[in-house]
Amino acid sequence: MHPGIIFFLVILGSVLFHIFTPWYWTDVASNWGGMDDTITLTFWIGGGVFIAVCLFMVYCVFKFSYKEERRAEYKPEDKRLEKILTWATTIGVVALLAPGLVIWNNYVNVPKNAIEVDVMAWQWGWQYRLPGKDGKLGTTQIVNINDDNPFGINSDDPYGKDDVMIQSDVLNLQNDKPVKILLRSVDVLHNWYVPQFRAKMDAVPGIVTYYWFEPNKVGEYEVLCVEYCGVGHYAMRGGVIVQDEKDYKNWLGQQETYSDLIAKQENKEINKKQLAKKTD
Amino acid sequence: MSEEFNDNKTIHAQSSETISGGGSSAAPDIDYVRPAEVEEQDLYHGHSFITKWVFCQDAKVIGVQYFLLATFTGIVGLILSWLMRLQLGFPGAAGFMTAEHYYQFVTMHGMIMVVYFLTALFLGGFGNYLIPLMVGARDMVFPYLNMVSFWMFFIAVGVLMASFFVPGGPTGAGWTLYPPQTILEGTPGSGAGILLMCLSLILFVAGFTMGGLNYLITILQARTRGMTLMRMPLTVWGIFTATVLAMLAFPALLVGALMMSLDKVLGTSFFMPTILKAGEVLEYGGGSPILFQHLFWFFGHPEVYIVALPAFGIVSDLISVHSRKNIFGYRMMVWAIVGIGALSFFVWAHHMYVSGMNPWFGFFFATTTLIIAVPTAMKVYNWILTLWRGNIRMNTVMLWCLGFIVTFVNGGITGIFLGNVSVDVPLSDTYFVIAHFHMVMGIAPLMVIMGAVYHWFPLVSGRFLDEKLGKWHFWTTFLGAYSIYFPMHYLGFIGVPRRYFEMYDSPYMTSAVGMNEFISLAAFLVGAAQFILIYNIIKTLKTGKRAGSNPWKACSLEWLTPSVPPEHGNWGDRLPVVHRWCYDYSVPGAKEDFITQTTPPSEVQNTGVEKT
Amino acid sequence: MSDPKIEGLELKPGFRGMAQDTGSDQTMFKGVHWGKAMMWIFLLSDTFIFSCFLISYMKGRGSTPVEWPNPSEVFALNAFGVPVPLLLIAIMTFVLITSSGTMALAVKYGYEKNRKMCGWLVLATALGGLTFVGMQAFEWSKLIHEGVRPWENPFGAPQFGSFFFMITGFHGTHVTFGVIFLFIYAYKVFAGHYDEGKRGWFTTMKGDYVEIEILGLYWHFVDLVWVFIFAFFYLW
Repeated sequence: MHPGIIFFLVILGSVLFHIFTPWYWTDVASNWGGMDDTITLTFWIGGGVFIAVCLFMVYCVFKFSYKEERRAEYKPEDKRLEKILTWATTIGVVALLAPGLVIWNNYVNVPKNAIEVDVMAWQWGWQYRLPGKDGKLGTTQIVNINDDNPFGINSDDPYGKDDVMIQSDVLNLQNDKPVKILLRSVDVLHNWYVPQFRAKMDAVPGIVTYYWFEPNKVGEYEVLCVEYCGVGHYAMRGGVIVQDEKDYKNWLGQQETYSDLIAKQENKEINKKQLAKKTD
Repeated sequence: MSEEFNDNKTIHAQSSETISGGGSSAAPDIDYVRPAEVEEQDLYHGHSFITKWVFCQDAKVIGVQYFLLATFTGIVGLILSWLMRLQLGFPGAAGFMTAEHYYQFVTMHGMIMVVYFLTALFLGGFGNYLIPLMVGARDMVFPYLNMVSFWMFFIAVGVLMASFFVPGGPTGAGWTLYPPQTILEGTPGSGAGILLMCLSLILFVAGFTMGGLNYLITILQARTRGMTLMRMPLTVWGIFTATVLAMLAFPALLVGALMMSLDKVLGTSFFMPTILKAGEVLEYGGGSPILFQHLFWFFGHPEVYIVALPAFGIVSDLISVHSRKNIFGYRMMVWAIVGIGALSFFVWAHHMYVSGMNPWFGFFFATTTLIIAVPTAMKVYNWILTLWRGNIRMNTVMLWCLGFIVTFVNGGITGIFLGNVSVDVPLSDTYFVIAHFHMVMGIAPLMVIMGAVYHWFPLVSGRFLDEKLGKWHFWTTFLGAYSIYFPMHYLGFIGVPRRYFEMYDSPYMTSAVGMNEFISLAAFLVGAAQFILIYNIIKTLKTGKRAGSNPWKACSLEWLTPSVPPEHGNWGDRLPVVHRWCYDYSVPGAKEDFITQTTPPSEVQNTGVEKT
Repeated sequence: MSDPKIEGLELKPGFRGMAQDTGSDQTMFKGVHWGKAMMWIFLLSDTFIFSCFLISYMKGRGSTPVEWPNPSEVFALNAFGVPVPLLLIAIMTFVLITSSGTMALAVKYGYEKNRKMCGWLVLATALGGLTFVGMQAFEWSKLIHEGVRPWENPFGAPQFGSFFFMITGFHGTHVTFGVIFLFIYAYKVFAGHYDEGKRGWFTTMKGDYVEIEILGLYWHFVDLVWVFIFAFFYLW
């Protein structure tokens, strides 16, 4: 069999695989459908180039296979052809780059009305903190973290008092409402990623990183850690539940705030003291 | 001692015989080549077994030494990849495989393949063997330094391999070695493992610098008469540019490795912020983990091209020889290599779009990254245009080249996905990335290495490798590797993250189980197929067909040595004189379908040869 | 082998000359000794190492949350009971720059085949380098005495100590290697190895005065790097 046939079958197989593959992306559940569109565009242009180049190669292999009597063409350069190809490629590249940059511009500019969520990562788990009625998150410090202050909120920051603390790896979000994810890590790199939302960013110890999205499908999603963070990396999961406004408000009302926690601690201590008095 | 040297007794190519080149006296002018500028090189000829084959100063022997040692580390890397695939395809099949081991294997596989296998093989192996032959030098300019370079590499490999046997084992921090993870308690190999890794990298860089200086000065200052830069084979151009990249990129790795070691040993906090671990705040504080990522990728991205550019160069030469046609657009090819090399220093942060660096960098690095696509695409066009109207020998060498074109174009195009900043966001850290870089800088350069082995084996050993075994080797490798990495892209689309020890139970991962099993089986097959080559080499060395001189009817200098395989000093009594580029194939009017570089113009007066 | 003289070759100046050399056969840098070209490229690579160090230093200094110590206080030296800022460092810099001068003269006398002068000047350079290393050791011990360590620093950010010891240490290692080679070369000059073209022990290359110039390039580079380190650590 001529080798060209096998190369042809490889190209054909690739195209067929792409058409009939059962493995493809999950339905997008956020505002980042534009990323999917850019991928599709890249697929069309890039895939077209791939097929064209490979088919041309296969054609040459058939047409110009070695014959004793034939001489190859002697033509070191073709300036015109090279120029055409350069410009055509440049135009193709610009066509791919432009939408990419436009979407990135959206990605780095967070809408004003986005709710900030503090996502705190460690080896190996997540917990979340939402702003209270004042709409602002209190500042934090790693050294403050202890059992009584799981997020390390600075006790002298008034914004921190009413922060809603979710000591669970499942976060609820309101549908059609943009969220700004503020990522921080207390130990190594992590990355909070929901495949259906498309967006991701590393959590880096020492700094706070961010990204935003707007969930637009009610449902439950799985959170994956996608930056290698040690032997437990593959098991570092979380969840997101996207809810309607009513359900979300309902859920939010049941969560504990930082002042609730402080009050509880104080109560505990008072109880302890009273208990101690009684036993005296 | 003096008898061991040439002692400048013979300075043939001196200015006394200014007008020469073997041309007839009838037409001396058109054969004129400028007189020699440099004295005949003063070489040390080894006599004992040790000075001839072990501590040898002959670049050709050093090249083979590099080749063998790099192949050995490559086989270690291959075995590690088998173990990884065993775990991914059939979790729990290997009883000893814990998450710690898995991550150690991932890390060592990555580092070995990129640095100790591909870089060493292309630059140390092919560079040493081919550069002096291709530019018409007697040897590398500093043979002693060249020898030390290899033995530094040897020690570096030894240190790296030693890390498998120290307490805690080799580092398991991923080949990118990102801090703080890398040196924190709890990460596999965070003690001796990471220190040995850093030490080994520093030794590698030191050794490579010695070799690299040799390659550069040999190419710049020791070419033979008539060999201008624009007459050099593209192989030399590729290796040259890659070496320049290495000389400027490895410093960043060296600095990163040194600072990391200090963080570990002395407890400095270059890369270490305040860290809370197991309820306790560690003594570190104030460092920047992202700084390491910048240093690493300032090395890491040029490193991709350190591997790719020699592959580009070599494949250009192979395609040209076996299509019996000059490489199309030689000057464009040269400028593309140089341009890609230069641009590769301005794109490093495209590995860090979602690393938490200032997101505004994304615009700059996406733009520079996609600009690189233009010269790269030009190279692809020129390869296939070289095939166009050629006279293509469909031998094993050509098959590897065609396999390279398919895999490289495939991998190059998925690179456009990942380079385009917002497209990268959903795809980064998934199997799409794994598939992309294995296709573009794993399989594609490997195809070139294999093609080059089949091509130059007759020069090194004087015998042809077996074609039939070669074809089996090619088709299993190509079809197998393609079916590993092509479908893997689609796992990335689902969202399967990389560096997962076990795929677990998420819906978009359970759907990938069948595919993972298939990929693993293909990986076992491809790995096993490489042993066909080893068998082929052993068999050929004993019984292979003799090649004789210039068996492929090539034009370039390495085939024109007086003896095959070439001896120490390469050229016998007198250095070759070059009159043309190395791509004069199928010149209209010429007797044969190739005109060697040393053929003077007076001998091919009535042909349509173009001046180069 | 000294710099090869090329008969009948006229070098054209400027960009045109450079383009002509690049386009020509055999050598890119006409008449430049292999070893010299090698040293230039090595130094280019080394420049990248020091650049990486200094850029990391800038980044580290910029991102540390604790305040950076004031250099004119940390590096002050008590002279006759008065703390004089940057006194020691000024002397160190002066010594090193002076040694660059003696090195340049050594190269000149080397090419004039003036064995004695060349040897003494190389030796003087070596002694200058040794003095520098000695003073640096003194400064290190002073800082260590005051409690500065690579991992901590009583004056402010711990990264100050980390970067200071690492970068000056790396530079000091360069100087030390330079000094060792200067002593070896001084011996070789006095022994006449370069006059008679005696082969080196390891490399078996023939001795030539060009080696003095090559070492000189390295030495000037080390001095130049010191100027940058000086500016970044002591003046910023």
